[in-house]
Amino acid sequence: MMFKFFSAFRKEWLILVRDLAGLIVLFVMPMCMVVILAVVQEFGWKDVASDPKLPVLFVDLDQDSLAAKIERGLDASSFFQVVKTVDDKPVTAESARELVRKGKYQIAVIIPDGSTEKVQKKIEFMIIKMMSGLKMGSMNPFSDLQYNDSVQVQLYLDPAIKPSFKNSVLCSMREYTLKVESQMIFQTFNSQLGMMFPYYKPSNNVYTETVMFKESYPSGKTEEILPNTTQHNVPAWTIFAMFFIVIPLTSSIIREREEGSLIRLLTMPVSYMTVFMAKIGVYLVVCLIQFALMMLAGMLVMPLFDIPALEIGGKLFQLILMAVATSLAALGFGIVVGTIARTHQQAAAFGSVSVVILAAMGGLWVPTYLMPETMRVVATFSPMNWAQTGFYDIFLRGGLIVEILPEITKLLLFFLITVGIAAAYRKWKPPISA
Amino acid sequence: MSIIEIRKLTKKYKGSDEPAIDSISLDIEENEIFGLLGPNGAGKTTTISILCGLFRPDSGEVKIGGFDLHTDLEKILHIIGVVPQDIALYPTLTARENLTFFGNMYGLKGKELRDRIEENLVTFGLEKFGNKKISTYSGGMKRRVNLIAGLLHRPRILFLDEPTVGIDVQSRNVILCFLHELKRSGTTIIYTSHYMEEAENLCSRVAIMDRGHLIATGKPTELINSNPCFKNLETVFLQLTGKDLRDDV
Repeated sequence: MMFKFFSAFRKEWLILVRDLAGLIVLFVMPMCMVVILAVVQEFGWKDVASDPKLPVLFVDLDQDSLAAKIERGLDASSFFQVVKTVDDKPVTAESARELVRKGKYQIAVIIPDGSTEKVQKKIEFMIIKMMSGLKMGSMNPFSDLQYNDSVQVQLYLDPAIKPSFKNSVLCSMREYTLKVESQMIFQTFNSQLGMMFPYYKPSNNVYTETVMFKESYPSGKTEEILPNTTQHNVPAWTIFAMFFIVIPLTSSIIREREEGSLIRLLTMPVSYMTVFMAKIGVYLVVCLIQFALMMLAGMLVMPLFDIPALEIGGKLFQLILMAVATSLAALGFGIVVGTIARTHQQAAAFGSVSVVILAAMGGLWVPTYLMPETMRVVATFSPMNWAQTGFYDIFLRGGLIVEILPEITKLLLFFLITVGIAAAYRKWKPPISA
Repeated sequence: MSIIEIRKLTKKYKGSDEPAIDSISLDIEENEIFGLLGPNGAGKTTTISILCGLFRPDSGEVKIGGFDLHTDLEKILHIIGVVPQDIALYPTLTARENLTFFGNMYGLKGKELRDRIEENLVTFGLEKFGNKKISTYSGGMKRRVNLIAGLLHRPRILFLDEPTVGIDVQSRNVILCFLHELKRSGTTIIYTSHYMEEAENLCSRVAIMDRGHLIATGKPTELINSNPCFKNLETVFLQLTGKDLRDDV
């Protein structure tokens, strides 16, 4: 039994290694795919991760403290890069509008002339109105007065701007504006109190932020692995690439059937499951080599593109377990497609498109938390989603074996079910014609 | 003594109106070359596929070498050899690698297997090309290796599905001579072909099938002599099965 298995394994391996072009496709293409997709996605991930430095055209017509503080705030944040000159020319309101219209920049902020003065006047009016109540009581003639002159900061937006960018800019602007307003309120209030009470001595720097934010990761593993874009992208695209094993595997199954070797094997005193398991064994080795190469690409090639290197962080055993389970799920899928498809064309078309669908469905392209509710439920049926969850558990959340066990179990069950379906189909429809 | 006993064998494919084979009964004696002849769609391949265990009949009984097809398939697979009509070999492997693999699947290994491979390569004039990939072989060379792959384990019964189709005269001659030798050594051969002259010369008995039925069985000479109009097996065949085209889709 084992001797026949090893003989079939050797046969399958020889067929594989004799096809040099096929080998290049099997090993080099997935590596290229992972690197290219991870590099391309890097910017997208940085939107929500760190240091994207979105260029923001900034036109300061105010030339006073409000615009200066907003500019300083935007520039000091790690999200934006304030751009005030383009091609060595200062950006004007008109040129900013044109640059955004042409799509060269995604956003422009124009602080109108006299903004600081208007804000200051409105605040003074409000404080005076409030303080007048102390002097005049119910006879206050200011109580019903309104001050309607407000500042309108002009924003020009490219229609293609991501909502996350737009919201980030708007939130930041509101934050800086409110800070400036708060400081002005305190200063004006101080000066008004000084005028009302000659003995009042205004204190400096009364305004300080009272609510602070502390970031931490419940996994407690940040000291080992920093959750960066590579930790997100490499596992996702590695899973995607691994599932493309469907193409060579289905090709091998269909070729064996078309060339007649399958019929010969079925008339020999050997369980076809033995021969089939040898085929799975060889392609499992291929998948694991692919996985190792893609991990190495993450560790060694990514830094060449100025992207953080993939950190495995001593979770090698868990990684191997997940890689084996993911590979088996991919192989199971390939076995079903290869068994049911009648031609290479059918298998190649269905195989590749279905892998793309499973990837999209599983949250490899768009995180599941950004999907509609229905799709989030659908995502839980994609083996790629299970694999991704397992790898994220390892790369981002510490990943103990017990934590990845549910994903491993689901992937292995998927393998068993797909192999079972293929076997049942083969029994129902033998690979011969009359 | 019958080495193959077929009784009322019937098989109907799903979605088909007519049975592919309909209540066929046949005895094949030990150490004969038995020709299974018929136009396209006659049921030859279905019959051989059932005898090789590729699928089960709807009804009927089959005994091969004394073993029941339903209950002793594993034992039957050890005593039969099958040479499919297609070149059932791996094109990117050499002849030796192909034969080693198929020999292993029959349970052969080590020196015994190597010796048998060399012996057969010499017999079929392929010893110099044993380490060349099958994809580089001519049609005749591929046919010869295809035949060797079904013989390595020295089967008692050999099924040959059109073993000489589309090959050069020399290769055909080598194969036919070898089949005579094989018969002399005691192997029973069940053979299908569209070449009537070849069947007439090679087979000790033939069965002519048409539309799933067995319409004639006997020695080629007996069938030819059964009617003065018959000049050869081909005229018998055409008389029995008709001259209409039998395009099979």
